[in-house]
Amino acid sequence: MNRFLALVRREYQENRIAFKVTPIALFGLYMAGAAMALFTFSYFDNEFSTMKEAVRFIANSDESIRSQAVWLGNLGGSTFFTFVLGIVVFFYLLGSLYDDRKDRSILFWKSLPASDTLTMASKLATAMFLVPTLFWVAYVITHIALYIIAAVTILLAGENPWTVFMSVANPFKAWGLVLASWYANAVWALPVYGWLMLVSAFSPRLPLLFALIPPAVISVLQIWIDFLRTFTLKTNLGGVLWQWWVDSPIINCCGEENGTVGAFLGIPIDDRFDHALTIGNMLDRLFSLPMLAGLAVAGAFLGLALWLRSRATDN
Amino acid sequence: MSNVIEARGLSKRYGKTLAVNNIDLSIPAGRIVGLIGPNGAGKTSALKAILGLANFDGDLKVLGRDPSKERAALMEDVCFIADVAVLPRWAYVHELLDVTERIHPRFSREKCMRYLSTTKITPKHRVKQLSKGMVVQLHLAIVMAIDAKLLVLDEPTLGLDIIYRKQFYTNLLNDYFDEHRSILITTHQVEEVEHILSDLIFIQDGRIALDCSMEEVHERYTEVMVKPDQADAARALKPLSERHMMGRHIFLFDGVQRETLAQLGELHTPNVADLFVAVMGAGDEYAALRAQQAMAAGGAA
Repeated sequence: MNRFLALVRREYQENRIAFKVTPIALFGLYMAGAAMALFTFSYFDNEFSTMKEAVRFIANSDESIRSQAVWLGNLGGSTFFTFVLGIVVFFYLLGSLYDDRKDRSILFWKSLPASDTLTMASKLATAMFLVPTLFWVAYVITHIALYIIAAVTILLAGENPWTVFMSVANPFKAWGLVLASWYANAVWALPVYGWLMLVSAFSPRLPLLFALIPPAVISVLQIWIDFLRTFTLKTNLGGVLWQWWVDSPIINCCGEENGTVGAFLGIPIDDRFDHALTIGNMLDRLFSLPMLAGLAVAGAFLGLALWLRSRATDN
Repeated sequence: MSNVIEARGLSKRYGKTLAVNNIDLSIPAGRIVGLIGPNGAGKTSALKAILGLANFDGDLKVLGRDPSKERAALMEDVCFIADVAVLPRWAYVHELLDVTERIHPRFSREKCMRYLSTTKITPKHRVKQLSKGMVVQLHLAIVMAIDAKLLVLDEPTLGLDIIYRKQFYTNLLNDYFDEHRSILITTHQVEEVEHILSDLIFIQDGRIALDCSMEEVHERYTEVMVKPDQADAARALKPLSERHMMGRHIFLFDGVQRETLAQLGELHTPNVADLFVAVMGAGDEYAALRAQQAMAAGGAA
């Protein structure tokens, strides 16, 4: 266990800018956004009368509307974190078995008594759990800071922040759901993670191209063959990947057909899975047949990546 | 005691090229073995097989383990340095020491810091801030601080200045080596290591050309500096090699009585480089190197 933790720690140290500085930068962006919003208000209306009016309007609105707005605000704040987290994990996994081959430090790491299986497990655990946890801490701190800014603004408008939004907010539930969603999605995305690690293990150079071009080429070929056969093929790789995203247990805030805005799991455009935001629906995905097939694909990719890693040296 | 490395019929193929060709090796504990060969001879391929970094054909046991299947366990008792500075450039020195300490049960941070104290490297340095020679110094300090049973050094002092090279080999002999450890060294700078070697292995075209102890080398091989009028008599004894220097003929003999040779001229024990040239045959890079050295020596004189 100590060796495993030491290897995870090593991953953190190697990627400290992506894992530590990026979430801090996101926090800074949110704060800058809040400051710019306040500045813009004061620029056009130095007595904040519009803002005060808006706060009074919210304070006088129905509790269910306030509750829904705060709830969506809670979860909507996570989507930018989710997006950047996805980018960080994508590039981390792409370099995870490539960078040390490129700079030849693989020879040093292989001189230590840590097996290739343990090394790969530490990299996978970093992508699945460490990075989401670090982003989650930044998300929670950002959320708390935004709560404080909102509370001060409401106080300045002469209203009670507790009655306006704090009494109807349920931040702990939102934080818990976001973290659960990120962990669940890490499991759901295992076939993709496995593919990225496999590409990282074999790419002689430019792993990004090796990661993107084969699925893109396969998808285009399938669509083309589909076209030649007058659309007889029901699915293609591009369609499978899209469906995987539609079904994912990641939280999305988007509009519904009836014009309202809500927070969902995945994208609520079909009924293959229930898109309502609950832990049960997250688990429903993780214990489904598509997930089982996904785990088999991930196992094949990761097994091949491990085989390549065990044979990888400095050339 | 059983052998530290035991190989029977060891082969390694890269496509159509047979890098290591059916070699047998037995290296007992408590020896310092020099694995010497020209570029492309198969040294690094053999070392990679021994270290579990490459697959191979044949039987190979290192400390009783199969390196291709038990690399991680083997690395608790084996440590190695590859032929270039391969430490991760992103790491701080203290981070490297931390991770090594947490992963390697036989690493002594205190000992490592003692070696580092003789250099300009501090824990706050980042590897990418260090010169190539300093990176090698750092790597050597880490490796020397590991209480391993087998140390494999592949061109360990490449890029180091002569003072640190001397210091490294002195430390290796005085602080590190004992009768329970074995060291396997490959280097082109054979003159630097020959005084510490206990055994010598020459490898050429993937095959073992010579495998014997240094005592055996001293007993078997004799170099004779012969005057021109005795040269034909020397040739009649079938020397391994003949070269000319400063008007003298220098012959190297294998297994000829020293009393017989003493009648021909002045006897010497050949150095490893000359023996290498003789055993491997003229025309290779070492012969050219020796010729250059001889010319340089003549020019200087």
